[in-house]
Amino acid sequence: MFIKIFKTFLCFFYVGALYSETILIKNATIYDGVKNIPFEGNILIENETIKQVSSTNMQADFVIDASGMIVTPGIIGTDTNIGIVEIGALSVTRDDSSEIYSIGFSIHDAFNPKSTLIPWNRSNGVTSALSLPQGTSSPIGGLGSYFLLDGEFDITSNKDMVMIGSVGGSSNESRAETYAIMDDLLSFASSINIRDLSSDADIAELIEASPIAEFMELHPRDVKALFKLTNDNLPLIISTHRASDILKLIELKEKYNLNLIIKGAQDASLVASKIAESNTPLIINPINNIPGSFDELASNIQMASRLEREGIDLMFNTPRSHNFHLVRQGAGVAVANGMSYEAAISAITSTPAKVFNIEQRGEIKTGYFADIVIWDADPLEPSSMPEYVFINGKSIDLTSRSSRLRDRYTSQPEKPNTYRD
Amino acid sequence: MTNSKKYLVLFTLFFLCFNLVLTAKPFESTYKPLPSVNVLIKNANIYDGEGNELLQTDLLIKDRKIEAIGKDLPVTNDFEVIDASGKWVTPGIIDIHSHMGVYPAPGVRTSSDGNEATSPVTADVWAEHSMWVQDPQYTLALSGGVTAFHVLPGSANLIGGRGVTVKNLQRNTINSMKFPDAPHSLKMACGENPKRVYGNRQQAPSTRMGNIAGYRKAWIEAEAYLNRLNEYESKSDEAKEMGYKPTRDLELDTLAGVLRGEILVHNHCYRADEMASMIDVAKEFNYKITAFHHGVEAYKIADLLAENNICGALWADWWGFKHEAYDMVQANIAIVDQARGGTGCAIVHSDDAIGIQHLNQEAAKALSAGIRAGYDISKARAMNWITSNPAKAAGIYDQTGSLKVGKNADVVIWSKNPFSVYALAETVFIDGGLAYDRKSGFYPSSDFDVGIINSNKNRLEE
Repeated sequence: MFIKIFKTFLCFFYVGALYSETILIKNATIYDGVKNIPFEGNILIENETIKQVSSTNMQADFVIDASGMIVTPGIIGTDTNIGIVEIGALSVTRDDSSEIYSIGFSIHDAFNPKSTLIPWNRSNGVTSALSLPQGTSSPIGGLGSYFLLDGEFDITSNKDMVMIGSVGGSSNESRAETYAIMDDLLSFASSINIRDLSSDADIAELIEASPIAEFMELHPRDVKALFKLTNDNLPLIISTHRASDILKLIELKEKYNLNLIIKGAQDASLVASKIAESNTPLIINPINNIPGSFDELASNIQMASRLEREGIDLMFNTPRSHNFHLVRQGAGVAVANGMSYEAAISAITSTPAKVFNIEQRGEIKTGYFADIVIWDADPLEPSSMPEYVFINGKSIDLTSRSSRLRDRYTSQPEKPNTYRD
Repeated sequence: MTNSKKYLVLFTLFFLCFNLVLTAKPFESTYKPLPSVNVLIKNANIYDGEGNELLQTDLLIKDRKIEAIGKDLPVTNDFEVIDASGKWVTPGIIDIHSHMGVYPAPGVRTSSDGNEATSPVTADVWAEHSMWVQDPQYTLALSGGVTAFHVLPGSANLIGGRGVTVKNLQRNTINSMKFPDAPHSLKMACGENPKRVYGNRQQAPSTRMGNIAGYRKAWIEAEAYLNRLNEYESKSDEAKEMGYKPTRDLELDTLAGVLRGEILVHNHCYRADEMASMIDVAKEFNYKITAFHHGVEAYKIADLLAENNICGALWADWWGFKHEAYDMVQANIAIVDQARGGTGCAIVHSDDAIGIQHLNQEAAKALSAGIRAGYDISKARAMNWITSNPAKAAGIYDQTGSLKVGKNADVVIWSKNPFSVYALAETVFIDGGLAYDRKSGFYPSSDFDVGIINSNKNRLEE
């Protein structure tokens, strides 16, 4: 009860935006997110950032005794549709696809900071997320954005900071055709000079002169996005599984100097050394060992540990954004099957921050934004929950619609349920 | 009894047995267990599936059964001894909701056989006739300690057909996997799926009221059919010869089986109000609902479920994939379990080939959510959610689902407390036969796994 009142107090206090106060998280077992062994220490938060991480004692306006508790950076949801899909099977609540734009389709402006997925995920430790569109009509295309899950209308985001794509087994066309389209698009992108993008009329001329751009019915938005891939090092997440596809994409990466990330990659252990040599980070679901298609025959529960041994940068996802926090369970399963604990934490905190250039997040480090979770027990045990979640130094109310419904049906039995709190 | 009579009896018995083996009835189980091993598991911590935790206790497997459980059981040369100090032992895990085999891996059109979505009532179809026995997913479930599972048709239809309970021992015919003497089940489905599938085709049902009308019409036909059968059966032999035997109807055979209490109803139903309506339908036609499956809103009517002896077969935390799954509460399973003074029946189910491998973790999440909601529930009780309770709902509790002397030796040895994500099933016995052993790399491979990536290896071989 004391903790609850205290938390509520913290919330109200900071909602008032009196940002001069300091908070000290004391005697915590700190996993900093970058594969260092954990250490006992204190974290001083001032305003939005971590002012100091130290083993010496410090003074602060508020002190949280985290003795015996694990503290980690907030989880970064790599590969979600948080804020752009409310109910999966209800298309009127989905904003993750476009029929007109392809390569340049951005989901950014659809983001709903009041989505119920946000309080639920952050009360389970997810403090920010990359939201990605569904695939588009183009094998490379669709722009994802990064959002802070503070639930504020004044959205904190990195707009259009990643592009997606996919290749693999399909009932419609050969993957050889997909590669040809990718190659043509990237070749077109490489040929573009920044001066050609000065006006939509100029871009229209470019499109007319390019058979692939014309065939794909590209729009100026699409061309501008494509340009960023080959010229601005825009991260490109391609979903694929089969080992031969992974190698083919690495060829494309090298040919066009792409900032490539491969997602899915269920066959990755077959070509792990090649992936490592090419410095290609992977987004994998470590709990998925199902040979779900003929492209995923090498699916194996030991995949994460095998890839870690090769020194590949690993990030974890889970297919259900409503419970993206269950990426912790996947990470726990990876550890149970041979991965190191520190690397598993890193796969959901600092590695996505590094790979996607999310500056000053994903680690517990002096000067970084204070996105911090204090756990009631081991965070990789899915039965654990946060005691405190900080986003930008602000203690977040851990109430969710789910916790409200629970309370509604486990208290006040004397009242009809619709008259309960 | 004279000697000759004795021999006659023996001969008759022998003949009967022999005859049974050679001529199992169509569609009956022909399951044969793995070679029997007699094993003494020493010094284990045990959750027995009956709500008990027994620390540093021995368990003896003999002749396919659990022979003894107790402290310091004598070591003899008749048994292999496994030192389980620091490890945990549970009954084999049972999943009451699986589509393995009917939606096998790889998930391709040619073997996607779980929904006969051609008519809203297809009580005539049996899931076992869709199950692909070479599905590579069974072995993965075995590595999670699953020794038996119940496979249902999908939820496209109001009444989707018969489900089947199988041993998790891959064989090359379905009859040889079927759990002996397990009853059939009937899959029924509420809500969005049937009304979407048929509504999109401009046919009934297209609404929830259409759903309910659809079930009731089917049961009216089933009652009439059963009456005709009973009327015929009650006739004298002479009268039977004079009259016509009612023509068999496969669909109504199944529904009549439910009305006779021989087939167990497993009802996919998310919303509380719909579950309550389904209880009324069951009362109107005097059948029993064994379990509601998925029941994301079960916590809203937990008392009603307990009063009607209906289990809630539930996920720990799935939600949001459709509207009827929007009101998720992680304490759902605990609330159902604790209803009416702890008389509720809660089951953790998977409906998922990944989830089935980690039902212990799903139970751990549900348990901790229950404790956070203020319930005093032990781990030993939560173990019932994935062992004895699903065994009861599948109608196999007399044979398995808990570690009781005389029951089938379906036993899992875990590396750690199974409520931890780090616990791995190390050794799995099914009917006292060694089915899986992690350390020695002893596990089955389906034909699908053979030579499919590298021709000289099986799929999971490094």
